[in-house]
Amino acid sequence: MMQREKISFTEQRSAVKIEETAVTGFQREESEKYSFRVYDKGFAGIYFNVGKMTDDEGFGKAEKNLVLERPYKYQLESGVRSRDLTEEVLTDRQLIDIANETVAYLKEKHPEFTMNGSVAMRRKTVVQTNSAGLDLSDTDSISGIGLSFKHRDSKDISDGYLSMEFRTFDLKKFTDMADEYLNAYLTPAELPEELIIQMQYYDLLNKLDECLDAERMALGTSLFSGKTGQKIFSDRFTLAHDVSDKVSWGDPFFDGEGVTQDGDRRVFIDRGVLVSGYSDKHIAEKYGVPHTGNAWRRLSDIPVNGNVNLHIDRSESTAKQLLDGRYSVFPVQYSGGGWNDKGGYAMPVQCAFLCDGGHFIGKLPPFTMKGELFDMFGDGFIGVTSDDPIIKDKQVLLKMQYGK
Amino acid sequence: MYRFPEGLYCDVRIERSSDASYSISNGEVSGDSETAVTGAVIRVYDGDMWYNSVTNDIDSIQREIDALAELAKPRADINELPEVAVYEVNKVNVTVFGGEKDLRNVSRSKRIELVNSVIKALDPDSYDEIKNYRAAYSQGHTIKEFYSSKGAEIIQDYQSCTLGTAFEAASGDNVCSGTEFARAMSLDELSLPDEKIKAKRDRVLDFLKNAVPVEAGEMTCVLAPVVTAMFTHESFGHKSEADFMLNDETLRAEWVMGKTVGSSLVSICDSGDMINNGYVPYDDEGTRSKETWLIKNGVLTGRLHDAKSAAVMGEELTGNSRAESYRFSPMVRMTNTYMSAGDTSPEELIAGVKDGLYVYSVIYGTGNSTFTLKPHICYRIRDGKLCEPVRANVITGSVFRTLFDIDGVGSDLEIFNTYTCGKNGQSVPVSAGGPTIRVRSLNVN
Repeated sequence: MMQREKISFTEQRSAVKIEETAVTGFQREESEKYSFRVYDKGFAGIYFNVGKMTDDEGFGKAEKNLVLERPYKYQLESGVRSRDLTEEVLTDRQLIDIANETVAYLKEKHPEFTMNGSVAMRRKTVVQTNSAGLDLSDTDSISGIGLSFKHRDSKDISDGYLSMEFRTFDLKKFTDMADEYLNAYLTPAELPEELIIQMQYYDLLNKLDECLDAERMALGTSLFSGKTGQKIFSDRFTLAHDVSDKVSWGDPFFDGEGVTQDGDRRVFIDRGVLVSGYSDKHIAEKYGVPHTGNAWRRLSDIPVNGNVNLHIDRSESTAKQLLDGRYSVFPVQYSGGGWNDKGGYAMPVQCAFLCDGGHFIGKLPPFTMKGELFDMFGDGFIGVTSDDPIIKDKQVLLKMQYGK
Repeated sequence: MYRFPEGLYCDVRIERSSDASYSISNGEVSGDSETAVTGAVIRVYDGDMWYNSVTNDIDSIQREIDALAELAKPRADINELPEVAVYEVNKVNVTVFGGEKDLRNVSRSKRIELVNSVIKALDPDSYDEIKNYRAAYSQGHTIKEFYSSKGAEIIQDYQSCTLGTAFEAASGDNVCSGTEFARAMSLDELSLPDEKIKAKRDRVLDFLKNAVPVEAGEMTCVLAPVVTAMFTHESFGHKSEADFMLNDETLRAEWVMGKTVGSSLVSICDSGDMINNGYVPYDDEGTRSKETWLIKNGVLTGRLHDAKSAAVMGEELTGNSRAESYRFSPMVRMTNTYMSAGDTSPEELIAGVKDGLYVYSVIYGTGNSTFTLKPHICYRIRDGKLCEPVRANVITGSVFRTLFDIDGVGSDLEIFNTYTCGKNGQSVPVSAGGPTIRVRSLNVN
């Protein structure tokens, strides 16, 4: 019997533009995207539409696309759940007021810097329903400020970036961070002999995302191939796909196949031991590996593997406790490098601050940070902070080396 | 046509896009879809603020204009404001991708045939080392309309198609990825010969087995054309975008016209008129594209503008105001940017290096004062000859120094269409080009 499924994605975005530390524009956008899907005899017919469309028309077009014979033979999910993590929705007027207040503060306190960026609000809802009894809905509303800063004497286009997001907007937290960054920028400091990096870790996780792809692991092209069940990283290192209320930041609690996790969390590396890679239903079946519910939501086609929201578990220690009297180096502008196929990492750091764990001490000269995957998260891994110093988010501390 | 409110500048940009793609991964059809999206952005300017609204409902455009006008403060002299006064009023239809060139006429069976031909050339089943592969074809066609309260009425089209493969190979503890893609503005120009795919496959497999870690430090580098293209875009192209220096005295002094900024061998041009990946006959403010020489023989001769930067700096419009799509506001972007050819053969450039690095391919780059290139495949040069393959993670240099350090420019200029440029959260298609060049010193890690 033919089954039906519908995924809808609605978003409202508003942004106030800031150019040269002045409010210069406002933009609002409302978008609705729909994926109409029918399943019959092991195939899926899919129709993607931007803008409103009736179910009759959408499913009718999806049925016609069954001729493409996109394979999908898996049982549809069922279950009912709704989550809305919204704490507040700022009006357009409030956003403009926040932007004006931000600009006024920065102009008065930090006149030697030019700011470009925006103050923005986004509210996103993803709904997935089907004829097998699935009815899932996830909503989140996030506001934030993102500004690149440039010192008036600098010959660079940008000297760094200030970014902070909120569910309940708090300008004081942003201006405290701006003060921390911009005051430290004006104070020269020297690179410490021992390089302990302190940073948000999301940019470092793209290699782990690649390595944990269950297909790559099965095919032998992942650095984790053949290592399932083995100790690969530090005892202090636990990595999970985590879309729980506490951790999720605009990430739905269900994947592209409507699969949910116990506690909205799935551990891939447990205290240094590789548990499994991530997979959707197809990859799990094809390679005989555990199904982990990580299908990517493709609105115009069948799902593909790859929807992971990786987080390293926090330690029970603050940044200061993890440093234990040492200084860290906090990169704030870095680009151009990355990982190589062997797991080597090298990244030029254009701007970094010397940090005591809780505050920036001064601006460091440019350098290149280098490391190896299994060292950085192995012997060199110190931990993830229990607190959120300076930037209102957790940070990783790990040992690296200076490049030449 | 639309009723534009008095005392305000207003423009409307409508885009109608049709995309299709087909891909095979490890023997299975991994993508097969067609999509069509229509959307518009309405912008109203009162001299102080821009008020923008994005919609997928084309029938609502007049309502959006009227609603935005309610937020703005009209002024009688709006069209005399410098930023508004410079807007061109072009009335033109430049749709050039109709008829047989129209990618919307490419059948699904043709897309399948193209992808299968790539897989046949790659021949992954005959090589144990190739563990993971994907072959893909994609196409996009967009018709753009632009209307302004000053009277501009522009209809233009854009399209491109891309064919290629990405694969991963493994041997022992070594893993290496490779790609070979071609992009063209119409199917009859899309060329990805089997020999090119096979040559890349063989090169990657050789690199997989024989590459050694680089000896980090400063070294003379010879950059292949595809790397020069990235270098040109990143090291200097972004510095030519005038929106970063509007009222910045430090940067305006640094990049003053007529200043010598590099070796006399270096000339760099940007042109949206070339029917390449960065083809933009009229930009997203309705300005006619122009050929802009950014550097001629090492001397700064031009920069890229949108209306605001041209007005603030008192320079001519260049047609470089671009937005990723109707969902974004335009800003200054490159189009087709290339370094001109010299008269030295690539072989001669390599022969002149006692000990250095040949950078054959690159993954991406960034462009601040310290620009960066993330290389893919490199070779050590010893006594003027290419030697063993080398794994390097990142190459950096100072833009203020490196342009002077170019001591050889090859005769083998190539334009590459497969680039996408990112800036402030927007990605736009560009082409980048250049010949083989030799740089006396770059930092390699």
